[in-house]
Amino acid sequence: MDIFLQQLANGLTIGSMFALVALGYTMVYGVMRLINFAHGDMVAAAAFVGLTVYTQIMGEATSLGAVIMIFLLTAIVMACIGVVLERLAYRPLRTAPRLSAVVSALGASLMIQNGIMLVWGPQMRIFPELVPQVYWNLGNVVISLIQVVILLLSLVLMVALYLFIEKTRMGAAIRASSIDQDAARLMGINVNRVIALIFIIGSSLGAVGGLFIGLYYRGITFNMGWQYGLYAFVAAIIGGIGNIPGAMLGGMLLGLFNAFIAGYISSTWADAFTFILLIAILVIRPTGILGERVAEKV
Amino acid sequence: MARNELILNGVTKRFGGLTAVDDLTLKVEEGQIYGVIGPNGAGKTTVFNCITGIYKSEEGSINWRGKEIRGMTPYQIVRRGIVRTFQTIRLFSEMSVAENIMSGRHIKSRQRWWHGIVHTPASRRDERENWKRVEQQLDFFNLSEFAATPTNSLPYGIQRRVEMARAMAVEPTLLILDEPAAGLNDKETLELLQTIFRIREQGVTVLLIEHDMDMVMEATDYLTVLNFGKKIAEGTPDEIQEHPDVIEAYLGSEHDDDE
Amino acid sequence: MQQIQRYGYILFIAVMAILPNLLNSRWQAVAITFLIFTIVALSQDIVLGKCGMFNMGQALFFGMGAYATAILNSTYGWPILATIPVAILVPALFGVLLAGPIVHLRGDYLLVTTIGFNIVFVQVVQNNLGGITGGPNGIFGLDSLSLFGTTFLSQLSVYYFAFAILLATLWIMHNLDASRAGRALHYLREDQLAAESIGINSRFYKIFAFALSAGIAGMAGTVYATQYSAVSPEGFNFIQSVLFFSIVIVGGSSVPGILIGVFVMFVLPEIFREFATWRFFIFGFAMILAMVLRPRGIWPARFGRIPKFLIKESNHGT
Repeated sequence: MDIFLQQLANGLTIGSMFALVALGYTMVYGVMRLINFAHGDMVAAAAFVGLTVYTQIMGEATSLGAVIMIFLLTAIVMACIGVVLERLAYRPLRTAPRLSAVVSALGASLMIQNGIMLVWGPQMRIFPELVPQVYWNLGNVVISLIQVVILLLSLVLMVALYLFIEKTRMGAAIRASSIDQDAARLMGINVNRVIALIFIIGSSLGAVGGLFIGLYYRGITFNMGWQYGLYAFVAAIIGGIGNIPGAMLGGMLLGLFNAFIAGYISSTWADAFTFILLIAILVIRPTGILGERVAEKV
Repeated sequence: MARNELILNGVTKRFGGLTAVDDLTLKVEEGQIYGVIGPNGAGKTTVFNCITGIYKSEEGSINWRGKEIRGMTPYQIVRRGIVRTFQTIRLFSEMSVAENIMSGRHIKSRQRWWHGIVHTPASRRDERENWKRVEQQLDFFNLSEFAATPTNSLPYGIQRRVEMARAMAVEPTLLILDEPAAGLNDKETLELLQTIFRIREQGVTVLLIEHDMDMVMEATDYLTVLNFGKKIAEGTPDEIQEHPDVIEAYLGSEHDDDE
Repeated sequence: MQQIQRYGYILFIAVMAILPNLLNSRWQAVAITFLIFTIVALSQDIVLGKCGMFNMGQALFFGMGAYATAILNSTYGWPILATIPVAILVPALFGVLLAGPIVHLRGDYLLVTTIGFNIVFVQVVQNNLGGITGGPNGIFGLDSLSLFGTTFLSQLSVYYFAFAILLATLWIMHNLDASRAGRALHYLREDQLAAESIGINSRFYKIFAFALSAGIAGMAGTVYATQYSAVSPEGFNFIQSVLFFSIVIVGGSSVPGILIGVFVMFVLPEIFREFATWRFFIFGFAMILAMVLRPRGIWPARFGRIPKFLIKESNHGT
């Protein structure tokens, strides 16, 4: 029972990070039908940008205000990179064969990943301790302040995103564009702006996810984006890619699944089990849990 | 051997709450040119999709040459001699006309999968024979000059002919044409009509959907009229033209001949 | 155009036959790597280029062939050449088993499941399941090539071994193009519904494509194991699959395109070794640039392989 509760807490923490990153994948896929392979590396880059903001701009301050500034500045930097990325690597390929855009995304991924290595070096860096090390013992279960912060902040961001998508005009434009881009354009929606907005939102949420990864695991490496990106992407698919609540649900489920595999079996098998789960879900229900079935018109 | 008859009995196809085809019964006899007409959204293409196995109808039976084919996959149905064309031409657009027609020879070819790895004298002979058959179709449909042309660079009317040639390369017993005259000009429609008669002369039964009323009246021996998925009339073209329900539901509502 | 292509092939084969005799041992090794990765990329082209299935797990089959050879040689003492049939059949069989449940999945979903298979494979090998894969270190100390009691120790013999396998692969691809099965793959890529509607069993041919492609990749795995006399998990990582995937798309799914792609990805870095740390950064940039400038690939595949007698005199140019 103790293992169960402990892994539940860990799983929810990891899951909320997956969910934040998964939102970036799912929103881009929803509108552009493109797997943005570079997103995972953007998340990794965010952790390094956060590190530099902390040391170079904030003078290694860890007050609440400084921490908020680190998050904001990092999110802004990553949002800008995301918009530039879309502009240069994806927009020219919007009418090209689909695989061309996939390869372009893979290229962007390699560029960002190795760009991090060229700037910050190939060795592991230690992320600063921005949140104090506070632990609570509830029976035999240990919960840290970092876990609580990650979980709460993720929930707030996800609820905010959900409300934005459902209640605002821009949100409606995003929904319309993901149903039918051409029809949305005919209705006067500026699809280029919608896509730019999606990259801004996705990249900043990913940036927050990247900073959380730094806070939680402490050690950050230039190539960690593949790992977290792939997991988040799997989460997006499990939830039904293109579906925003699906990405949140998928992230949480995958986090819990991983934590329980690590707790009850072995973390050396976590990848294999995760992908076997993914394959099983896709074979049984090819559109994910919340995805809708679309019939091809003949 | 059962006669080459297609009998639909009580066929019903629903999409969610919408009943696209409702309790349809019809019988296509050997050697006929049979027409299915009806206003837009009447469920004509859905009927064809049910016959050719793209959709599975929820109820009823589809009987071809005395055998039930409902629930078979498209390729199984093709092997029983039923081949179709599409309303929205579906060619292998980057490939040449000859290669498109060659695809129709797929089920007649005696090559097995391992001939894709190693050729044998028999597979080479088979390959040659099938290309010869493609040549015949190119001649029959007057497409020889376009043999090496990719289909996506051809005008619409010629693409329609390529699609029919591809279907005829399968040597079908029943040819199903989904709006073969759509997008054709008058001259092309006339040629199409002659082609359909020539196909029938080869002993092929033809089932077609068409919007062009003049062409339907000219071409077909027998007609079924659908509206909202239901059969509202059937008979010879002359009978249909007189039928009050048809005039009401179809001819009456669409004065425009171009539709 | 076809004439040029034919002479191009003859020239390429002639150059490749003479080439290793002009190279020192380091460049011979590079040339062998070029041959091996060309074979894998060509095998990937069968599934991805010809049949249009988004497969991003080709390193799995490549690795399976390499491990089959390594295990049979090191544990059971089979000569390297005798392992070839197993190194073809095991991946081909897995191609059938793995493709069976997933070939109906559309585009991106297929892509993700094949990534998944690759990752599961690497983890299984790393964790030494069954105690035969040697875990993270892999298997090393394989025998050299031998035939009828003669052992060939030189690198040159490995080169010609790889070259022979490449020629066999090119020959199979050539046969495939002029066959019912090969055309069926093209038809499926262009329009699956239309292909089924003229009688093609899409499931059968998709699984066939996976099996054939896996068998060829497995054969390349044998050469790989021979060259390094070792195998280890990271050689068959998912990142390798990404490279094979990209080579086919950037190259344009044609033999010349794939040769260019493999050359750029695996030979150029050897020439510009001093920029080694910049290698993947530049690749990434080059991949984006290539796709933006030539969305259909550097050397797109051409169709129109039809018998001459069908092309009539009156043909007014195409």
